[in-house]
Amino acid sequence: MKSIQLDTQLQENRKGKSLLKKVLNTPPLLWGGMMFALLIGVAVFAPVISPYQPSHQNLFAILQPPSTKHWLGTDQLGRDLFTRVIYAARTDLSIMVLAEVIPFCTGVFLGMLAGYYGKWIDTLITLITDTLIAFPFYLIVIIVAFASGAGQKGIYITFILVGWIVYARVIKGLSASFRKQEWIAAAQTLGIPGVKIILRHLLPNVLPQAVVVLMTDMVGLLVAIVTLGYLGIGIAPPTPDWGTMISDGQSFIATAWWLSAVPGCAVVYTGIALSLVGDGLADIWRRK
Amino acid sequence: MSKVSAFLRKKPLIASLMILLLVLTAGCSGSNNASQNTGKNQVVKGGTFVYGRPAPVTSFDEYSEITSNNAFAIDKVFEPLVAFNKDGKIGNWLAKSHSISKDGLTYTFVLRDGLKFSNGTDVTAKDAAFSIQQHLIDKGPLAISAQVASIKAKDNKTLVITLKEPYTPFLSELANFSNGILPNNFGGVSEKQFFKKPIGTGPFVVQKWDPAGDLTFVKNKYYWQKGKPYIDKLVYKLIEDDSQAINQLKAGEVNAIESLPLENANELKQNAGTGVLTSGSWSIEQLFFNTLDKHFSDVHVRRALALAIDRPALTKALTFGYAEPANSLLPPAILYNTNKTIKALNFDTNAAKKELAKSAYPHGFSTNLLIASGNSTTAHLAQILQQAGKTIGININIESIELASFRDRFFAYNFSTMINGGQADYPDADSILAFQTDPKGFSKSYWTHYTNNNVTKLLYEGQKTPDGPARAKIYANLQQILADEVPYIPLYYPDVLIGVRSSVKGLVVLPNGSVRFDSVQITK
Amino acid sequence: MIKLSATGGRFKKLSGLSAKIAPSHRWLVRALIRAVSVVFCVVVAVFFIIRIVPGDPAKMILGQYATPQAIESMHHRLGLDLPIWEQFIRFVQNLVTHGDTGTSIVLGTSTRTLIAERAPVTLLLIAMASLLAIIVSIVLATVAATHKNGVLDHLIRILPTVTLGMPIFWVGLLLIIFLSVRLRWFPVGGVGQGLGGMLYSLMLPAITVAFAHIPTLVRSLRTQMLEVLESDFVVTLKAAGIPNRVILVKHVLRNSALPALMLLGVNISYLIGGTLVVEQVFGIEGIGSLLFSAISNRDFPIIQGIALYCAISVEIISFLVEIASRFLDPRTKGEL
Repeated sequence: MKSIQLDTQLQENRKGKSLLKKVLNTPPLLWGGMMFALLIGVAVFAPVISPYQPSHQNLFAILQPPSTKHWLGTDQLGRDLFTRVIYAARTDLSIMVLAEVIPFCTGVFLGMLAGYYGKWIDTLITLITDTLIAFPFYLIVIIVAFASGAGQKGIYITFILVGWIVYARVIKGLSASFRKQEWIAAAQTLGIPGVKIILRHLLPNVLPQAVVVLMTDMVGLLVAIVTLGYLGIGIAPPTPDWGTMISDGQSFIATAWWLSAVPGCAVVYTGIALSLVGDGLADIWRRK
Repeated sequence: MSKVSAFLRKKPLIASLMILLLVLTAGCSGSNNASQNTGKNQVVKGGTFVYGRPAPVTSFDEYSEITSNNAFAIDKVFEPLVAFNKDGKIGNWLAKSHSISKDGLTYTFVLRDGLKFSNGTDVTAKDAAFSIQQHLIDKGPLAISAQVASIKAKDNKTLVITLKEPYTPFLSELANFSNGILPNNFGGVSEKQFFKKPIGTGPFVVQKWDPAGDLTFVKNKYYWQKGKPYIDKLVYKLIEDDSQAINQLKAGEVNAIESLPLENANELKQNAGTGVLTSGSWSIEQLFFNTLDKHFSDVHVRRALALAIDRPALTKALTFGYAEPANSLLPPAILYNTNKTIKALNFDTNAAKKELAKSAYPHGFSTNLLIASGNSTTAHLAQILQQAGKTIGININIESIELASFRDRFFAYNFSTMINGGQADYPDADSILAFQTDPKGFSKSYWTHYTNNNVTKLLYEGQKTPDGPARAKIYANLQQILADEVPYIPLYYPDVLIGVRSSVKGLVVLPNGSVRFDSVQITK
Repeated sequence: MIKLSATGGRFKKLSGLSAKIAPSHRWLVRALIRAVSVVFCVVVAVFFIIRIVPGDPAKMILGQYATPQAIESMHHRLGLDLPIWEQFIRFVQNLVTHGDTGTSIVLGTSTRTLIAERAPVTLLLIAMASLLAIIVSIVLATVAATHKNGVLDHLIRILPTVTLGMPIFWVGLLLIIFLSVRLRWFPVGGVGQGLGGMLYSLMLPAITVAFAHIPTLVRSLRTQMLEVLESDFVVTLKAAGIPNRVILVKHVLRNSALPALMLLGVNISYLIGGTLVVEQVFGIEGIGSLLFSAISNRDFPIIQGIALYCAISVEIISFLVEIASRFLDPRTKGEL
């Protein structure tokens, strides 16, 4: 009991005291956070930043090279590329975040259940994860995307089906190791019900690790969205999306390479920002 | 590496000019055998021609196949009695002459002399009779629509086919690869076995065949066009990805590629060492309306949307000059098209608004546009149409689904509008028209359910009327009604595009997308 | 995504059950049971997942102009008109007796034959990519570990951060454009003739596949090496005057090749998946291109066959990795 109190107290202390200082002391988190904040800022203020509409076409000014009027030129329908890249950030980032919500919750919860109770629950969950993991990831993604129709719905369904596995596996191991610690045993002897122990005491302890996994997993998800776009089963037009933009631009790689290079770089930029944040959070967590 | 550098080596200019001149003169002096003999010693013979294709050849069964991956291999092995040329005109092929009786019921074909199958046996009228008879039994996706009464081998060389009622498109049907001539009784083996090891009269013979991969042909030494084909081997190399195919062509790893997206054509044209061959096609991109749909059963709505679309502008933007804006349903490569003379609903936003005001939905509405995913030109086209709809208050949602599901959807009439293509199977005008206007056919006017008794009447009349001005008038009327009532909006006629190495001469591109390799030369 | 570190789930100790077997072999039996039950689940999943997908294989074979009668007779020919449970029983029967998932709907050849024809290229590609990944990772990890906190170390450590967000097809495209089309160092795609030509043409694809795995490998190898370098044992060796180079080669490097291989083994599913996509980018006629065309043709038997063979290979490799880890990990050595 003592150790539980100590643990939570310690956490609260640190939280209240010097969150900012901690961030400042962790360069990856600082840089990653700034990069990500910039990205979010650009996405949110897209209408203010760009004078054009992302779907505004001009069939008489297609495939123009970069100029002062169109900073990154225009695409095949005469739409402003810069505008589409920053509007695509809205699409892709929001799908990325939304598609992680359910897998994150179910994965963490199932992981804790398996780790805490072990026995048949563990066996069952392990069987399911092992079955799903035995398939090459893109095989499942493509089949589900085909089944549910291209577009956002397919991405959400795919990730609800397979996205939770990575959390479940990491959190299961972590929970199992916590289970052996004495404060859990103490709580059990006091007669606190399992569910309560899981939600009240186990969850706060596994959450930081889950958030670290979330950061890298979001990058993976973004790459998956982009890959689906490349395979032609991504987000439906005319919604701007980096993946579709890369594959549309691929035809012009010899004549207008920036059409697919710029959205590609946007994906890489997002990846760097998120993995820096993940690294930083892991650093802080490890130090604690 | 050595492969690449070999292709990079430049030919002396004079030599290549000479070869070019030679090919030109050879081309001018007629497409058949006679004149080729004179310039024989200058023709570059031998070599292996590698043709990159997006899908493998899975079957040689001429009766049951329809898709181009198989059709364009079948037509290298089996040849019909009559065939169409680059302009879609029908001429004699295995037959040295043909005649049609005045009543349009009796067709007589006389076979060429010295015709042999690739195994060396002679081709007789019996073989021809069997081949067509078998197609009548097997039916298949390209089943003969003419009402055939009898097929008889009058003598060794003469084949007589009689019809129950006149059917003008019949000769065109016979020009199809599905009526290629093969040995009587499949040469004594079962049909299934035969098509595993096909024997025909075509310029090439199957040597090595992986139904999931590449196909290697060798030249047919018994081919009736003396001295042809010039190349020794023809390889169909499977390259599924278009940009991969383009890169391989640029690097000289293939001699030509079958699938070339419109947006890449100029890139190959400007690139040294590669070029583009084109031909007017038998296909037409269209926006289809489900005439059972609440909104699109109203002719004014359909007309309004047609008026709101700037066809020349979208054609230019999407096809980079490799297509012609469409006015009539029939493409210019098909006889009786009225693309130049028809009164189409041309782009006029004000007229479009006025037209919509006459409809039951004067203030616009929301609807769905179904497209197959995976094709960027279609996706772009959909976005242009969406923008056009917006200008007159029609709010179009694009629904992009994978090809197999897409087909399921429109087969079940589960769509409001869709983008799809029309494609003639053979050069007769009836091919596209019957498929797109016959409400009793299984395609139900291309799944639009469009029904107009006048149109149906004209369609049947056209089938019975012999070629000539009378038939032209019928089809002009028919196309005009379609342009006025717009069950579908013709958008553009895309060209057939074949990407080639500059060293390739004599490749003939056909309007159905196939190519002839019999006169092809690889001039190093 | 589903990419794991070496400490992931599979290495958890298995406890309980089957007391009759000698305790030292208990885990082995358990791992076997687990592998077999996973394979069974895979079979069930493979059969049913694909049937949920809309789209009719008959229409894909006949094209969009097929008549309803033609479609119906095709259904009958394919056995698609039978009740689903009967189709499943047929499926399992065929699988058990022939190790096959049936005849390809479109290609008319047995799935087993098709896979056997295509597998060598894919396996060679995976092998080349693994070898490349291991060599490059060990070199980079050694450099990083021996120059801890130096410039090189920082550069190498930032590598995973940069590459994580790079879609593998995009990397492949960039490599094709610069190394093949511009510099003409490698063929653009396809597979060359003969062993030499084959190896040469698979270099660029192998680099692309390896590219996705090197960062993770480097990261864990570096940590592992640092642990060894900073261990009492090595410190003692150093104190005894043994040169750094000898320590590095004899004790550190030798022990890192196998863990690297195992780490790849843990990620085998991811490795296979990446290979399938890369095959598509480079136009290689392997399992990947067979799979993609089968999916769009709704060629059920092929999709099932590939999914099944992939899943079974993944299981076998995981099983081997688990055994290997038991042998190598000093913490579990006692249990063998």
